[in-house]
Amino acid sequence: MRVVIVGNGVAGIEAALAIRAREPDADVTIVSEESDHFFSRTALMWVVSGQLSHRCIEPHERDLYARLRFTRVRRRATGIDLARRELRLADAEPLPYDRLLIACGSKPRPAPWPGAELDGVGHFVTLQDLEWLEEELHGGPSRGGRPPNADAHLASTTPDSPYRRRPSGWKARGGPPKHPVVVGGGLIGIEAVEVMVAKGLRPRFFVREEHFWPIALDPREGAWIADALAAHGVQMHLGENVHALHGDGAVARLAGDRGEVPCDLCVVAIGVVPNTAWLEESGLELDPRSRGLVVDEHQRTSDPHVFAAGDCAAVRWFDGSRRPEPLWYTGKFQGRVAARALLGDPARYERHVWFNSAKLMDVEYTTAGLVNLGVEDEREWFFEERGAVRSTLRIVLSGERVVGFNALGRRWDHSVWIRWIEERRSLQHVLAHLDESRFDTELVPPLKIPKDLRKKPAEPRAPSARTVAAPIY
Amino acid sequence: MDQQGQNGLLATFREPWRTRGAVAYGVAAVLIGFYTLMYFRDHLGVEGGALDPETWASAVGLRSRWLFYGALYSVAMVGGAIYYLRRHGNSRYNRIRIAVNVAVQVVLAFTLPLVMPYFFTGDPNQFWKYEYYFSYFWPLDWYKLHPGSLQNVPVVLAIYSIVGALVAAPLLAYFFGKRWYCSWVCGCGGLANTFGDPWRHLTSSSTSSWRFEKRAIHTVMFVAILSTFLLFLDHLVGGRYATFHHVVDGGQWWSMKSLYGYVVGAILAGVIGTGLYPLLGPRVWCRNFCPMAALLGLFQKLGRFRIAVKPGMCISCGNCTTYCEMGIDVRSYAQNDESFTRAACVGCGMCAHVCPRGVLKLENAPRLNADKKRVGLPIVDL
Ligand SMILES: Cc1cc2nc3c(=O)[nH]c(=O)nc-3n(C[C@H](O)[C@H](O)[C@H](O)COP(=O)(O)OP(=O)(O)OC[C@H]3O[C@@H](n4cnc5c(N)ncnc54)[C@H](O)[C@@H]3O)c2cc1C
Ligand code: SF4
Ligand code: SF4
Ligand code: SF4
Repeated sequence: MRVVIVGNGVAGIEAALAIRAREPDADVTIVSEESDHFFSRTALMWVVSGQLSHRCIEPHERDLYARLRFTRVRRRATGIDLARRELRLADAEPLPYDRLLIACGSKPRPAPWPGAELDGVGHFVTLQDLEWLEEELHGGPSRGGRPPNADAHLASTTPDSPYRRRPSGWKARGGPPKHPVVVGGGLIGIEAVEVMVAKGLRPRFFVREEHFWPIALDPREGAWIADALAAHGVQMHLGENVHALHGDGAVARLAGDRGEVPCDLCVVAIGVVPNTAWLEESGLELDPRSRGLVVDEHQRTSDPHVFAAGDCAAVRWFDGSRRPEPLWYTGKFQGRVAARALLGDPARYERHVWFNSAKLMDVEYTTAGLVNLGVEDEREWFFEERGAVRSTLRIVLSGERVVGFNALGRRWDHSVWIRWIEERRSLQHVLAHLDESRFDTELVPPLKIPKDLRKKPAEPRAPSARTVAAPIY
Repeated sequence: MDQQGQNGLLATFREPWRTRGAVAYGVAAVLIGFYTLMYFRDHLGVEGGALDPETWASAVGLRSRWLFYGALYSVAMVGGAIYYLRRHGNSRYNRIRIAVNVAVQVVLAFTLPLVMPYFFTGDPNQFWKYEYYFSYFWPLDWYKLHPGSLQNVPVVLAIYSIVGALVAAPLLAYFFGKRWYCSWVCGCGGLANTFGDPWRHLTSSSTSSWRFEKRAIHTVMFVAILSTFLLFLDHLVGGRYATFHHVVDGGQWWSMKSLYGYVVGAILAGVIGTGLYPLLGPRVWCRNFCPMAALLGLFQKLGRFRIAVKPGMCISCGNCTTYCEMGIDVRSYAQNDESFTRAACVGCGMCAHVCPRGVLKLENAPRLNADKKRVGLPIVDL
């Protein structure tokens, strides 16, 4: 069987590994425009700051492809001929396939305002973006060096590719930026801010929302993060929209709701969209809203020989909606399911209780379940700890039943929380057993909740515009 | 405030002195030269000269070059500890651990050996009997179970040597992992974690380095045990077999006892082990050659220590693997949701500390399966 995989990201490589584990003789080809080696996109920020090298963020040894007999094609895929079962490539012969897996990920959402094409304006999603930002902030790569064959695809790529390199303003400026700006208050935005802070800069941070990261945090939690940012010298522009970037060749000023500010580097981090523009004409069904590839629970697209996994796949969510799940672990799971499904196994992608974690500046963040979604009869229990450790814990309930957790400042074992959510536990049970989900490093004093607060009932929340029924897992 | 997680690791790969630049080679050359003089002064013809460590010792009023070494070592550890705390001190585990480790060095491995002889004997010729290092055990301090030294030290100390090496150390390793020693007590580990901290990311995490480690360290362990056995045999019957005695403990440079000292003690532990800190990371000796590490590693492997992995949360970023001083590819376990115990792990806690997603946690707990039943001994790779 000839399997062709478009994408050397987490979804693509996990699929390839799963295929090899089951089919020692399958002919597996991995097409990737971006890089020779699989790398962790989640780790871009540490390469910029110099905490990790390019080699450090490659999870496998470089002989993986030879050892497992994966053929690599470093080309841009430009389309699919579904009838002839061929993948079209830029500047190369088409690749025939028996099964095709599309794991082409996301690309940055382009800035909707004028001036985005100026030098010194870019994103922070691809390996090329990473190299661009390294150049902008440091004048070049760290002592670990560039990844192998970093530019191998540039001769044959197309203008719509997100894997081209942006011109850097380092030379024109003669050094690092004096007025760096990050636009977009999500995870990628805060990571871009962090690498600037690490470099000793004081970026301006434009966030459209009134508090930081409202899809994940509530105003109290968001205020803590905003304060932590401000304490590191970040100039917060909360609740401010950007209208335009101005400059002559290179960016020089940014116009926002509250006037113009100087800006000689702008990282635009206003989200990602499925990287599926090259599939618009292919005949595969794309979700009208997100433009992700519509897949069934076996990760199969509208063509029976074509599968999709990872950021580019629009899967069905528990609330019935269809959209991509742009996360590392979901890409991994989907890739494994797609691998087994395309080999003919009855594998299904089971959407589990949602969980995630992150680190926002110095603050640990862990979440599980239905948080900030607006559930029926929503209540919440909130506790803030200020002592040797600073932390917050927010437990979300639907009626009497615990459905979600949001925590800052401490580490928690989300798998225990998920078990409680699945067991439909009460707030009292959860608080009585909270220690079972501790995951702090050793010697950190445990979270102590005063008795009266442990008895405090959850407070009803004002009904939100949109509510979802808490699913039965 | 106890902030967990990475901090102070920034710019590691942007500074030549931490990434095998010219300065790193210079520091390595100085260290190698220093250890060569320390161990081979008798063979290099420097006696009495400015390059003689004994000259340095008497210049600062210490009675031997080993006490001078101890003083220098303590200074390097204290200085390194300050660096370490600035870099990783935002974690309570790190703060307490490094404080204990430095205190053990300064008190047990420098001050006590320095002053004890004055309390128990006034005779300078008898000083060596009471120059006892409480924080070192056989087989790391291979001479501790040498029949000759057991006979010569006071009985309590002989008992301390035997019980410490054969009972206490393995037992503690079984319950708490080898970290009780390698990360809290041992001076070699202490130096690696303080003075050697700037280079911790240089330890190779490749599969081939792991293969080398397993071969090399178990060879040294085998040699250490066998040679100790031969010393005791020689002690019992050596009088009757002159050639055997000659080969084992005859006093020539090529007799077994001296050879072990030169190869393992001087070259592997000193010249290479510490000399190569700035180029190959601070655990070259601990990872590849230390017989104590190999022995404790086996007990750790059978025992209760493990690194617990939170399922699904790992983003494969590689911070843990990069900053593991023992070259363990922690990420390869974490990204597959496998909790693990590796014989090499010294339990420094750095992988858990630097993980930006809080995936890892050091634990001591019995191995239980899903039904809370005890699991049998794991038969897996070291
Ligand atoms: C800065 C940053 C931080 C993040 N942090 C986190 C985090 O902490 N936690 C988390 O869960 N998620 C995080 N994410 C999201 C996570 O990285 C993605 O969900 C994940 O990488 C998606 O993997 P994928 O395999 O679907 O696609 P990708 O990793 O995007 O891989 C796409 C692959 O497709 C190839 N490709 C695409 N188009 C073509 C084409 N036309 N021709 C040939 N090849 C093509 C590319 O070469 C590439 O190999 C982060 C993302 C970013 C950008
Ligand atoms: S490995 Fe050996 S030298 Fe290193 S810390 Fe452990 S016992 Fe000490
Ligand atoms: S695995 Fe973790 S605890 Fe063990 S030696 Fe490596 S970094 Fe230290
Ligand atoms: S365990 Fe943590 S540090 Fe290691 S790769 Fe995973 S997320 Fe990164």
